[in-house]
Amino acid sequence: MERKKYEKSLRIKEDYTLKKLGLALFSIVLLLSLLTACGNDDKEADKGKTDGKDTVEISLWLTPQWKGVIDSSEEGADFDSFFKYAAEKFSEQYDKHDVKVNVEVIAGDQRDEMLNVNLNGGTPPDIFFESVFAMGDYAHRGALAPLNDIVDDEAKQDIEQSFWDTVTFGEDIYFYPFSHMPGTLVYNADMFKAAGLEKYVGSADAIQTWTLDEYETILKELKANTPEDKYSNAYPMGLYALNNQGDTWNLAYLRMFGSPFFDDEGNIVLADEKGTKAAAWLKDMYDEGLTNPGAESVSSNDVNAMFQNQQLGVSFTNSVLYNNIKADMASGNVPEFDARLANIPSESGDPLSFTYVTGASIFDTGDKTRMEVSKDFVKFFSSDPELVKASKNGVPVRKSVVEEFKGENPLFAAYEANSQYMFSFTGNVPGYNELRQVLYPELQALYTGEKSPEEAVKDYQKKGNNVIEKAKEDSVIYNK
Amino acid sequence: MMRMKNNMHALKRNLTGYLFISPQLLFFMVFLVYPIFEGIRLSLYKINYGNMTFIGFDNYKALFQDEVFIKSAVNTVVFVICIVALTVVFALFVASAIFDKNAKYVSFIRGSYYIPVMVSMVVMSMIWSFLLNPSNGLIPFLARQMELPVVNFLGDKDLVLPVIIFVTFATNVGQAIILYIAAMIGVPRDIFEAAEVDGASRIRVIFKILIPLVKPTTIYIIIINIINVLKIFVVIQLLTGGGPNNASTTLMYFLYNNAFKYNQLGIASSVGVIMFAIAMVLSIPQLRAMFKTN
Repeated sequence: MERKKYEKSLRIKEDYTLKKLGLALFSIVLLLSLLTACGNDDKEADKGKTDGKDTVEISLWLTPQWKGVIDSSEEGADFDSFFKYAAEKFSEQYDKHDVKVNVEVIAGDQRDEMLNVNLNGGTPPDIFFESVFAMGDYAHRGALAPLNDIVDDEAKQDIEQSFWDTVTFGEDIYFYPFSHMPGTLVYNADMFKAAGLEKYVGSADAIQTWTLDEYETILKELKANTPEDKYSNAYPMGLYALNNQGDTWNLAYLRMFGSPFFDDEGNIVLADEKGTKAAAWLKDMYDEGLTNPGAESVSSNDVNAMFQNQQLGVSFTNSVLYNNIKADMASGNVPEFDARLANIPSESGDPLSFTYVTGASIFDTGDKTRMEVSKDFVKFFSSDPELVKASKNGVPVRKSVVEEFKGENPLFAAYEANSQYMFSFTGNVPGYNELRQVLYPELQALYTGEKSPEEAVKDYQKKGNNVIEKAKEDSVIYNK
Repeated sequence: MMRMKNNMHALKRNLTGYLFISPQLLFFMVFLVYPIFEGIRLSLYKINYGNMTFIGFDNYKALFQDEVFIKSAVNTVVFVICIVALTVVFALFVASAIFDKNAKYVSFIRGSYYIPVMVSMVVMSMIWSFLLNPSNGLIPFLARQMELPVVNFLGDKDLVLPVIIFVTFATNVGQAIILYIAAMIGVPRDIFEAAEVDGASRIRVIFKILIPLVKPTTIYIIIINIINVLKIFVVIQLLTGGGPNNASTTLMYFLYNNAFKYNQLGIASSVGVIMFAIAMVLSIPQLRAMFKTN
């Protein structure tokens, strides 16, 4: 009797265990099916049919550029306003497909992470709107589609050749230029006057050009004569080499004595007399106390903040940063002072001028329809007479737009006059992103005295050319 | 035969338990074990947009010829040894000095050392950057005001490592102090009483009783800190950017640059594998000691 009871309880226990087992198995199956459902490709949903026309969905990513469609004073102005409006206008007049554009703003410092992860996962955006210099590597890697077929003669006439050179890699155009952001120096005209340097102060609507000798005099005078009581803890010139941020100005300084920087094959040729002289000049300025101290561990952000706090006589700027400084002063965020623009001087007397061209590129997603629609959309917003007016938020690349807004912003004419001195700071070489990581350690070694100017430029050339050579092997443009 | 039957029986009996841990095990396999093997596989490939080429150990060869990598590896090992040693010694010192004092006093000390642990490393790095920035930082500013010689702590290749070691140590040590105090409070009181009766000095009590009895905690702190310091990144990124002239770059910073800035996924994976190997080699003696004790 006892034994039977025991066997029965054992059977119940086993049944119970089996039930639990079933439940657990069911949970696992459910979990697995959920996981696989998550991984399902939903690209098929991109195309549907309405009104007899296919609906094509494309994605456009951009880094923050300007707020509003044409002007930031519009109601609800945001970074994506322009592209949302452009997409609406485009789909109204487009007859091939119904088009839906998904606009996404991504942080500038997350650009490469986002793109690399999405490219490796096979889900790049269709269109990317960004500064060309940051995107050149993607053209070399074969991730972008050429845009030659959407650039017509009218656009070539209206946009200066130097801009087309910037967006051409090998023989193909990979970016449709929209606006640009020229880099210059900015100086504190009030501090100049306080140091007795009135004669070097230019007009507020112009970009002042100094010779290299004049520039050195300015720095020395600033050091000697800037009144301590008015400008405490102030230095003549902003210099930085903590990381790659703002390195374009450092690249410009290295061209001061006429170095071409790149040769025709896209290799660095800085380790000659001219390059060494430029590096030695930087080191001299630093050693003589004509710059802020500790340049090796100061970032461009620090320097910009110091200029705003009136701790620097001359600093770096670009058209957007300059507008921001002005806006901060107007809103009372920083104390008001007279900030004016100047060119980066050179030994020859010609200013050193560069610009960041901004424009759209198209990723080679392999989907012919989406790529065709993307190209049509890029051509539309980069050439529509109403929409291109938005380029006035930077500096317009189109002569027609510059002409229209010259009265509103007199600096547009000054920037245009500078375009003849423009140099391509990237040289459109492959591996530019990695190349940027090679320069600042050498500058740090130069400023700390670990390396002489000769050694610093020689090592930069050697390491930089290694990066370029490696990237050339992988570049679809060099291996066509 | 009998043994097999027993094993089967044991398996059947424990099946429910295994099933209960299976979802966790599944996640562990998918999100931890699989990435490790995938990382090892990727380290043998050259990965370019759209295609992968098997290149054997070429990524590793390239790494060992890269002076920045060598510097990163040396720096990382220096960081691990110095920070872990400092943390253990200092935490032992503080904990053994205060563990048997008034409870309120212990809480106060514990709290004050633990506050930096709770503050994000990003915030800590920014505060240190504000203090040390050679152009507009507080310390160089005060030094200039007092006409003292100004030292660029972040820009001197001989000083930058000690500064980073100090910043990381100061942020991390609270955790170790908390663990040590907890372990020391747990040591039975009668042992101390017996030592007192025998006339042992406090130093002798600490070295002969306290430290041996908190050995498992020491091992745990060493392993956790080795792994944490191997991954040191934020402080480098925000304070020095690896400079001056790569003097403070670390393996994790090198890996990040390769993976996300240069898109060299193969190289980055190889660095990951090497870091994994270093962590294993550094942790194995500690783990063995721990299992032996248990």
